[in-house]
Amino acid sequence: MQTSFYFDQTRCSGCYACVLACQSWHSDSSEAISWREVLTFEKGTFPDVSVAFLSLSCCHCLHPACLEVCPVGAISKRESDGIVIVDTDVCLGKDECGKCKVACPYDIPKFGGENNAKMQMCDFCFERLEKGQKPICVMVCPLEALNFGSTEELKNKYKNATRETEGFVHDPQVSASILFNPKYN
Amino acid sequence: MGDHGNQSIPTACCHDCGGRCPYIVHVEEGKARKVEPYPDPALRPCVKVYAFPQKVHAEDRLLFPLKRTGARGDGKFNRISWEEALREVATQLKRVRDTYGASSILGLTANGAVGYLHSPLVLWRLLNMVGGFTNRWGSASNQAAHWASLVNYGTVGTGNSHDDLVNSRLIILWGWNALETMYGTGTPYYLVKAKEAGAKIIYVDVRFTNTAAVLANQWIPIRPGTDTAMLLSMAYVMIREKLLDEDFLKTYTVGFEYFSNYVLGKEDGITKTPLWAEGITGVKADTIEALAREYSTTKPAALMPAYSIGRTSFGAQPFRAAMTLAAMTGSIGISGGNAAGVGSRPGTSGTLGGPGSFPVGESPSEPVLPGGIKPLVVDHSLHKQYRIHTAMVWDAMLTGKAGGYPADIKMVYIACTDCLNQWSNTNKAAEAIKKPEFVVIHEQFMTPTARFADVILPVNSHWERNDCFRGLDYTAYGNKIIEPLGETKSDFEICCELAEKLGIEGYSDKSEDEWIRNVVPEPRDRAGNILSYDEFQKQGIAFTPIREQPIIAFKEQITDLKPFPTPSGKIEIYSEQLVRMGNPDLPPIPKYIPTWENIDDPLAQKYPFQLVTFHPPRRVHSVFYNIPAINKLEPSVVWINSRDASMKNIRNGDKVKVFNDRGATVLMATVTERIIPGVVAIAEGAWYIPDEHGVDHGGNPNVLTKDAPTPCGGIPYNTVLVQIERS
Repeated sequence: MQTSFYFDQTRCSGCYACVLACQSWHSDSSEAISWREVLTFEKGTFPDVSVAFLSLSCCHCLHPACLEVCPVGAISKRESDGIVIVDTDVCLGKDECGKCKVACPYDIPKFGGENNAKMQMCDFCFERLEKGQKPICVMVCPLEALNFGSTEELKNKYKNATRETEGFVHDPQVSASILFNPKYN
Repeated sequence: MGDHGNQSIPTACCHDCGGRCPYIVHVEEGKARKVEPYPDPALRPCVKVYAFPQKVHAEDRLLFPLKRTGARGDGKFNRISWEEALREVATQLKRVRDTYGASSILGLTANGAVGYLHSPLVLWRLLNMVGGFTNRWGSASNQAAHWASLVNYGTVGTGNSHDDLVNSRLIILWGWNALETMYGTGTPYYLVKAKEAGAKIIYVDVRFTNTAAVLANQWIPIRPGTDTAMLLSMAYVMIREKLLDEDFLKTYTVGFEYFSNYVLGKEDGITKTPLWAEGITGVKADTIEALAREYSTTKPAALMPAYSIGRTSFGAQPFRAAMTLAAMTGSIGISGGNAAGVGSRPGTSGTLGGPGSFPVGESPSEPVLPGGIKPLVVDHSLHKQYRIHTAMVWDAMLTGKAGGYPADIKMVYIACTDCLNQWSNTNKAAEAIKKPEFVVIHEQFMTPTARFADVILPVNSHWERNDCFRGLDYTAYGNKIIEPLGETKSDFEICCELAEKLGIEGYSDKSEDEWIRNVVPEPRDRAGNILSYDEFQKQGIAFTPIREQPIIAFKEQITDLKPFPTPSGKIEIYSEQLVRMGNPDLPPIPKYIPTWENIDDPLAQKYPFQLVTFHPPRRVHSVFYNIPAINKLEPSVVWINSRDASMKNIRNGDKVKVFNDRGATVLMATVTERIIPGVVAIAEGAWYIPDEHGVDHGGNPNVLTKDAPTPCGGIPYNTVLVQIERS
């Protein structure tokens, strides 16, 4: 089973609730970084403008590039649910290594501001999932633009879901576990 | 809800946006750290609540009473005891009252806390019992919308509940950045549902906001302060092409013929054609004609003007014009329509505070009429006689009675507001507030206003006290989560203790808990069953009133021919009341009056850009500015169109200075296609950080805004001329 995200780009308003909720759920520190980001894509010239947002965290790829390049095996993929997790105790750090960030086609691995910061990324709130709860980003989205489930469930629920959307290119090498309702057809 | 010694406690947000969002706080090992929403998407809060753990535990929280040591405004303070602080404030209150009269005490409050108990009203009650005080009048928010709704409908309860939006086929959001300003928790959700149900959404605004990004089928950019001209020309098209609901106008309105004559040019010789409007608004005549036809032929259609268009120098006019269009199309009192008024729910007082609020008593400084001076009236003569307009409090401090104000201000008592930062002309405010003999403030942080206080009384956060909050469709119980940090106290506790120091009896005969029980309406669950108070507190949310269908404003007037609460009993497109008031800036029918600082003003030679100041999507006004996680998401920027930017040699991310004769602010340029050329936009609420030359480096647009009331009592935050240069 592979756990996946679903993102409805027609609904996202770029409100950042998912970004800050993720950060504050996973850390008490005001220095903490969020494992999720919101990207804004502006198109056209005045007055024919269009704006799309993309809320993105680790997409827990079927074939994670980060895992393959990690020299110390700090990154692993859980068999039960396909969630990719990083062991910060094993990670060599950004200054000493940083290979995962280079390898990831979506520039997902995150590092704090400290010296030789260890890699951090979305763990799909697996502790919440184990309690039958939704990931915090899905839970807080005011417009229900984010959802999650097994890839099969999501494909059944969202028949027209795509693997690409504005700001996100499908990379068959890694096969990201995320489906979209795209803003533009 | 205990779990291994941990607790999940329902509470709610206390700040002054249009929502009153309930949420749950998880306490782990005694620390309140994690925030989670209710599962219902219509109850989900915005990004800000996830910053509450940081805000409540912020290192810069004021935890002890402080007394000024340097010059006023230097920001130098010493810690003092509560005993000393309260004694000082009580002594000053008595001294100023006995020496100059109680009206020399100016009470400045706003909606920094909006609970049933913890709100500015606890201070009003205290000051009234001290012997009275001079209050302010004029809402910085929705004054024009309120006033215009009272004129046309006799009430501010003009809004359908937002679950009715899915029944609209056309929704025109006019200046309404609904997804980011949250008028009512759940409103963004209902709008998205409406769009997905097939409603066409047209967005008329200066900026292409994130609301436009998600919802708009069409964006119609318009110059600030010109909305009335466009609405009038839409009316012209509808009259010319006979796209009118004649029966509706005949049955439910008075004075349409006066309006029609004015639109057709019979009154002033100017025919309000789309071409006429194009020259004023910057909107193409074709676009206006198409919109007029679409609005009058699509049924049902909801024209939804927002408060922003009212925050212009003649901001009541676009609201009255929009309400007239709503009548011309028969869009009032029906599902899927909208009366185009202020949008409060029928039966509410017009504020989210709702009924049963804390009793303030009568003010001895004001004439003792039944109920005192009413906040919502058409004629503000009494307000002008006994109170000071919000935009003029700084001028009043400087000039007092000689300047035509009701009192010479000797003491200023501030609570629940960062007024120096948030009301117009902040540089003037920073000078004026040095003049009174004593300034005291209740605050959580060293805000730009608090820096000017003589004594700062530290207030606890809403996580440190119980309260209740009124949402549009529910009451939320704001449970206390943790003990008050440091020596902080609630506004209510401070006022109780001051009353005791002053020897005032009867300030409060109830505990905090008893007051809340007393002021909150009977709580019910979703099925309509009465909840005990204890159950309500435990569940955190109650639903009042219970309903199965959306609420439709004016349904009784339209269906059952019940009179409107206006003098004529009908919708007053023409108002005799306004004829009697005789103010040419408040004409009996809605008229286009060019704003003060407009692009044809000679001042535009020097300051060629119009400025609009919008609500910061990730702050509540000035609240959260000092919280790093939020500040990072809401940097101080000015929006400028790429054409203007290239003319001014400004690149995206450049440091720029925006200035006029009132002041200057330095911030970063956001060069974008998302704003009409000729206009720059800055979010309000960034903290005023002046350098030694008085130039603000926080990005606060109120160093630029004009301190003058609009004719209906509003503040013209969106009527400002400025220049912009690379810094």
